[in-house]
Amino acid sequence: MRILIVEDEPDLLASLAQALREEGYAVDTADNGDDGLFNAEGTDYAAIVLDVMLPGMDGWEVLKRLRKTKKTPVLMLTARDQTRDRVKGLDTGADDYVVKPFDLEEVFARLRSIIRRSANKSTNVIALGDVKVDTAARLVSLKDKPVELTAREFSLVEFLALHRGEVVTRTQLYEHLFDENDTTMSNLLDVHVSNVRKKLGAEFIATRRGHGYCIE
Amino acid sequence: MIPKSIKWRLQLWYGLILVVVLAGFGGTAYQLERNRQFRRIDDELHKRIGIIGNALHGPPPRGQRFNPPPRDDFPDDGPPGRNRRPLRPGDFHLPEQDEHFFDASDPNQFYFRITGRDGVELASSTNQPNKLTEPDSQVSYSQSSHHPNQFAPIFPAPEQSQTKTKPQPAVNFGDYRENIEILPSGEMIWVGCSIAPELKELRRAKLSLLGIGGLILIFGLLGGWWLVSRSLRPISEISSTAVKISAGDLSQRINTVEAESELGQLATVLNSTFARLETAFAQQKQFASDAAHELRTPVSVILTQTQTSLARERDAASYKQTVEACQRAAQRMRKLIESLLALARFDAGQEILKRSPFDFSRTVSDCAELVQPLADERGVKISIEAKPIEIIGDSERLAQVVTNLLTNAIQYNQPDGEVRVKLETQNGLAVLMVADTGAGIAPENLSRVFGRFFRADQARTGSGNAGLGLAICKAIVEAHGGTIEVASAENVGTTFSVRLPAEA
Repeated sequence: MRILIVEDEPDLLASLAQALREEGYAVDTADNGDDGLFNAEGTDYAAIVLDVMLPGMDGWEVLKRLRKTKKTPVLMLTARDQTRDRVKGLDTGADDYVVKPFDLEEVFARLRSIIRRSANKSTNVIALGDVKVDTAARLVSLKDKPVELTAREFSLVEFLALHRGEVVTRTQLYEHLFDENDTTMSNLLDVHVSNVRKKLGAEFIATRRGHGYCIE
Repeated sequence: MIPKSIKWRLQLWYGLILVVVLAGFGGTAYQLERNRQFRRIDDELHKRIGIIGNALHGPPPRGQRFNPPPRDDFPDDGPPGRNRRPLRPGDFHLPEQDEHFFDASDPNQFYFRITGRDGVELASSTNQPNKLTEPDSQVSYSQSSHHPNQFAPIFPAPEQSQTKTKPQPAVNFGDYRENIEILPSGEMIWVGCSIAPELKELRRAKLSLLGIGGLILIFGLLGGWWLVSRSLRPISEISSTAVKISAGDLSQRINTVEAESELGQLATVLNSTFARLETAFAQQKQFASDAAHELRTPVSVILTQTQTSLARERDAASYKQTVEACQRAAQRMRKLIESLLALARFDAGQEILKRSPFDFSRTVSDCAELVQPLADERGVKISIEAKPIEIIGDSERLAQVVTNLLTNAIQYNQPDGEVRVKLETQNGLAVLMVADTGAGIAPENLSRVFGRFFRADQARTGSGNAGLGLAICKAIVEAHGGTIEVASAENVGTTFSVRLPAEA
């Protein structure tokens, strides 16, 4: 899962990015509206965390322009908790908002929620035959027995599970699993897929040669 | 006990006055009516006394209404009616032509009686009421009179008896009214009549006066109540509005339909007061909300930093980073709180300025030295042109103003720009001008630069500049009795001018 954070306060940006990376997301950052919009338009993020008050183009403007081309779920960070600000945000096309100061747990939960909703799933638990993926607890179980996965492996399973039945290209997987700071080595993805197959069964992830991967 | 309510008190006074006025008018009307009735009766009585008198001893010297009795009844020489022999019972007969004056069919039932010197009845009409024939009637007469001096004519003094006495005032006995004339010869003529019809009429008049008065009183009270309620209604409206306002709804206004009445004017005054209150409250609320908003970002930093840091074991360098970030956030909050407190003190007039004379040009050059590192960092050149000017004021606070203006001039300048500082005297004022070569301020924002939480770039929350600096500058300068102004041309630069009273 790759996420973009647009926030101008450097300390806040750094800690948010770190926290989300530790949650298993691939995180890109931008510290102003123009860069944020550029990134958001160029990449298919799972979600965008967008501050309202930004130098240059503000959060509302970024959201308005982004909505012309993309439906990426957006979580707004706002310092104003007045109803009109929230209404404005939701009307402009924000999927949710968090009022500063916030708890990280809340940001995580709301991010999961908007990502789930954008994939048309209403619960945190996705059942794939014998395998169950709990996106909130970040746990995977096989025949009701928990299976240990690394954060990257979990992200891979989660992304494929959210796009169940679809063929996910390698490029898409790269974009969602690795952020701009990672050196994308193409065989790293194969390593992760192979590890997941070892843990959850060889049939769990099907390979569509020349297209990508798929969970039936 | 007087009621507390204005409405009731007004009503009470109003009703009291109404009762007094009505009682006065009614009483007077009744008295006039009574007097009119009795005067008519008295005229009739006098007329009949005259008739009896004439029948006794001839007509008066003038007035030819009655035929005199035969002269030979009174053979004495001398003026008629005088010095004749005393009458004896049965001597007197009412002349036929005068009988109709004592007609029994008359509703007033006029009657007469003549008594001699000794009180013996000499003659009477047939219809005189029995009780008046009692010998002690004179006593009851005198007793029933409330004026003791009326006793005297009944037994006149000898010298008075020589002339014809004046008619005595008529007196009422129950349903009868009587008049007496004492003749010089000592005989007394009693003429009376029943006044039952008149008394009945007076009673009716009294009842109708009471009825009319009562009706007027009721209508007056009702009208007064209506008027008082109507004129006091704005008060209840004012109070209900005031209650809503005190409950927190400052947008309430009194409905001033009757703007021309005294209460309408009061309502207008109150409304404008409420409007000012609302504005002041809105400003205060905005200020508090802005202050809270400014605190949100540093608090978010601390929360996310610490929560991330505590999520798992970290190395020392990572903890150090977290602590440093928290420190930056805390310092930002401290700065904000200090600014807010300073503004609050200036607003409340509690800021105590240390006033002492000092050379303002020294302060300016000291401050310029202080901000030089920042200017060097941005590549901004500072030029100062200042003559020594002695002013009285708080040198620390004024240094804060100068530093703030210089910092702004450097921060909002272009790289390799210039800050020109000029200090001079103009018309007894010390004038400090700080001009930069920055982007300038948009005309629509010029009036707001001294406002609280105003930032030329609304979003620059990360800069640690809450937008209170110029507001504080303005408060300090104005506390010194000075003024601060701004002039700006976009893409040319901005000039701040501070004018302070200079020591002559």
